[in-house]
Amino acid sequence: MNGLPDLKKYDEFVGNLELIDDEDMRFEYIIDVGKKAGDIDFPEVMKVDANLMHGCMSKVWIVDRFEDDRHYFSGFSDAIIVKGLVTMMTESFSGLTSDELSSLNERHVQKLNLGALTTQRQVGMLAMLAHLKKLGRRRNTAVVD
Amino acid sequence: MSKLQSMTELVGPGDKSVSAFDVEQVRADFPILSREVYGKPLIFLDSGASAQKPRVVIDCIREAYESYYSNVHRGAHHLSQRATDAYEEARVIIARFMNAPSENNIVITSSVTESINLVAATWGRKFLEEGDEVVVSEMEHHANIVPWQMLREEKGIVLKVAPICDDGSFHLEDFEACLSSRTKLVAITEVSNVLGTRVPIKKLIKIAHDHGAKVLVDGAQGIVHQGVDVQDLDVDLYGWTGHKLYGPSGVGILYGKADILDSMPPYQGGGDMIAKVTFEKTTYQDPPYRFEAGTPPIVQAIGLAAAVKYVEELGMGNIAAHEHGILAYAHQQLADIEGYHEVGTVPDKAAIISFLVDGLHPFDVAAVLDRQGVATRVGQHCAEPLMDRMGIEGTVRASFGLYNNRTDVDALVAAIRKAKEMLS
Repeated sequence: MNGLPDLKKYDEFVGNLELIDDEDMRFEYIIDVGKKAGDIDFPEVMKVDANLMHGCMSKVWIVDRFEDDRHYFSGFSDAIIVKGLVTMMTESFSGLTSDELSSLNERHVQKLNLGALTTQRQVGMLAMLAHLKKLGRRRNTAVVD
Repeated sequence: MSKLQSMTELVGPGDKSVSAFDVEQVRADFPILSREVYGKPLIFLDSGASAQKPRVVIDCIREAYESYYSNVHRGAHHLSQRATDAYEEARVIIARFMNAPSENNIVITSSVTESINLVAATWGRKFLEEGDEVVVSEMEHHANIVPWQMLREEKGIVLKVAPICDDGSFHLEDFEACLSSRTKLVAITEVSNVLGTRVPIKKLIKIAHDHGAKVLVDGAQGIVHQGVDVQDLDVDLYGWTGHKLYGPSGVGILYGKADILDSMPPYQGGGDMIAKVTFEKTTYQDPPYRFEAGTPPIVQAIGLAAAVKYVEELGMGNIAAHEHGILAYAHQQLADIEGYHEVGTVPDKAAIISFLVDGLHPFDVAAVLDRQGVATRVGQHCAEPLMDRMGIEGTVRASFGLYNNRTDVDALVAAIRKAKEMLS
């Protein structure tokens, strides 16, 4: 439906956001995603400079596990809202091939906030997409301490 | 009814603090303050980044473009003469505002950043040699750090940093300990953009002069809260920016003593700054024109003069008294929030509050504040070395201006409580 293979998590996030007709509540939804994400999938040893995504107002770490020609991302931020956004991005766009990853565009990202964010933070999400694509081109970027 | 009232009158409806002017009438002068964001009233607490503009400034800009806009200093026609008169009148108004001896002490730049870079690139390049020392403080904005680092790379000067204390206080004895016979320049902020700390600038200048050093003051955050009298301070160079003083963006000021400006070579080359040009040799204009190459920020300077007249009418002392009252009220209300910590707690600080809330990331707090209509700034505030010094990654900053009232403070407090509730 998006010109991409089955993006189950992406469709789930977009579906949930579309059901909410209030921007404040969509904002709260993103916070809830951040709160629920927890710290389990991103151990301390991976919070190293090499995994940092630069240019963010809060610290954002993202790693890419490349398996069977597909990319599986996980990420973390020390700010809850950003953690919510990182989680939505990494969960949405995991399981894609490099070619599929490179076909993602800003429309995919816009559906993941639906006006709940300031333009500046929407730009931050686009930067996150660019970062996922960059990681996707490099293959297996996870660095541990 | 005049905006100016006796010191015993009230700030506004239901307001019990004492102020020198009716803040509700003042707020009516700022069209943007009546708008909503996210369907909520705008609570603007980011004047430290850039202040909002009163209608007189907006109207002045519109009038300039609609009725007499033209280039200055060179046109052989009526409009150019009118624009030149207005631009030069702006210089006179700004000189008077700063109590400069003459309008020729006033260089019109694009920003305080350019004012500082101008000094570094001209005075610095000419008079500083390897091993000479420039003293700054730990609470400088990047604009008053990086130009000196660039000069350090180029000329081998030494950059010394005067320390502050954990509460953000600045002590002259610690500063004086940084001075030596090699100190040629002290480049220092008047008010910290993060902590609100006021540097005792007059005493500092006397100490620096006793050591044979010149002083450049970054007045971006100082002049808006307390005005300036450059002759009383005996300051050598003083830079500030228009947009924080309720004027347009794109215009800054550099005041310099006449002998210092005279001694400085040109900054940028181009039209307007020259006396005579041949391919063999070019001679330059006297200050301030020597430093104003190309078409200057004409309308911005004219708009800034309108802003200066606006704050003069209110009175800088009255503005300072009003902001002091709002700051005191804010401190009182914020203190009740569990887990709230202010960064920079000097008692006589300017109306700037940087804060953290236990367990919450400042980015999250500011984002929730934003959704409540409360505009603050978050992050390092272009003062990364200060953040390192304080051992923090960033803060939320609420900065107050002449139009803020107790309702704004109440909204800030409510929004912080909401942030705690949503994020915990």
